Amino acid sequence: MRKKILNIIPLLLVVTGMQAAQPVILKTPELEIDFTPRTPNQMTSFYEARGFPKAMRDILKKQCFITVGILNKSNEKIWLDLSGWHFSADGKPLKREHRDYWKKRWQNMAVPLSKQSTFRWTLLPETLDYLPGEHEGGNLILPFTDKAISLTASFATGENKQGKTLTITTDKLFCAEDAQ
Amino acid sequence: MKHLPKIFHLLLISLSLLSAETVFAGSTGSDIKTPFGIRDYNIGMAPDFTLQDIDGETFELAKAKGDWIFLHFWASWCGPCREEMPTIQKMADAMQKENFRIVMINTAEDEDTVFEFLSGIDVELNTLMDLDGQVTEVWKPRGLPTTFLIDPQGEVKYQAIGGREWGEPLYVNFLKQLLLSTDERR
Repeated sequence: MRKKILNIIPLLLVVTGMQAAQPVILKTPELEIDFTPRTPNQMTSFYEARGFPKAMRDILKKQCFITVGILNKSNEKIWLDLSGWHFSADGKPLKREHRDYWKKRWQNMAVPLSKQSTFRWTLLPETLDYLPGEHEGGNLILPFTDKAISLTASFATGENKQGKTLTITTDKLFCAEDAQ
Repeated sequence: MKHLPKIFHLLLISLSLLSAETVFAGSTGSDIKTPFGIRDYNIGMAPDFTLQDIDGETFELAKAKGDWIFLHFWASWCGPCREEMPTIQKMADAMQKENFRIVMINTAEDEDTVFEFLSGIDVELNTLMDLDGQVTEVWKPRGLPTTFLIDPQGEVKYQAIGGREWGEPLYVNFLKQLLLSTDERR
């Protein structure tokens, strides 16, 4: 009987996606990047607590949120540029919308400026020069998928981006789903 | 016991070097060694703004010239901001007799949220309210929290990267050296 229960639990975890959507930490000598998938419930609760309009929350809860933290462990500048981050799922490209897309969308919905501002500050910057020892982060928003997400991300290095290019890859990212 | 005089001698030399370094560091602003996490950020005159604090008092940056200004952007939802607040309070206590102003700017939250947050973490810091987030947009901090240090002439000189242990001697001494360098130039 006990064995049967133990077999059921992993199955349930897979079905609800909870097992898959675990934090992923990638380490290189120069970088440490952590990815933490957020459930729709986590995100809508966060935005609801800050007075975001329901129409905005309804759109956001259909997205895949992954909170990313990036630490520059090297002694030189490392350049984040999200245009050099390529996502795919099930062998097909997964398009991440630029923050300008969201800006336009909220403007068209006449979302209050304060909410637009908070939303922007919770996003991972599109570009940023990480200084040695600096840690910054924010949310990535992807179209929701229940498939594993692959990422190849490139970073320029050096004061004028003339150093070696760092590349990190993973195929272990997942969107988090609410518990059933 | 036999080695004591030697040790004292070494100590004296070290102390002399330390004080010489302090005097040298304090002689001009540019000679001051910046602690970890603070970088030179000479972007010229600080963009002006006028905001109200949680008590409804108006603050205009351009009218605050004459003191060094610690301009700090924060939000209650930002974890590092929460962790940093008590250290800013500690630094404020250490700097209260100096020509130094702490100007906090909350980014795009309402009074109720801010009041609840500040009273919940037991600090006595007031904050300006950037209710629509537009002052923050102009200043473009790297992230939240971010701090800028503005000299008495109104020029931005330094930027702090992320949350710092402002109450630690490393940072308090750095801030005091900035003030000293300005006093010596007056």
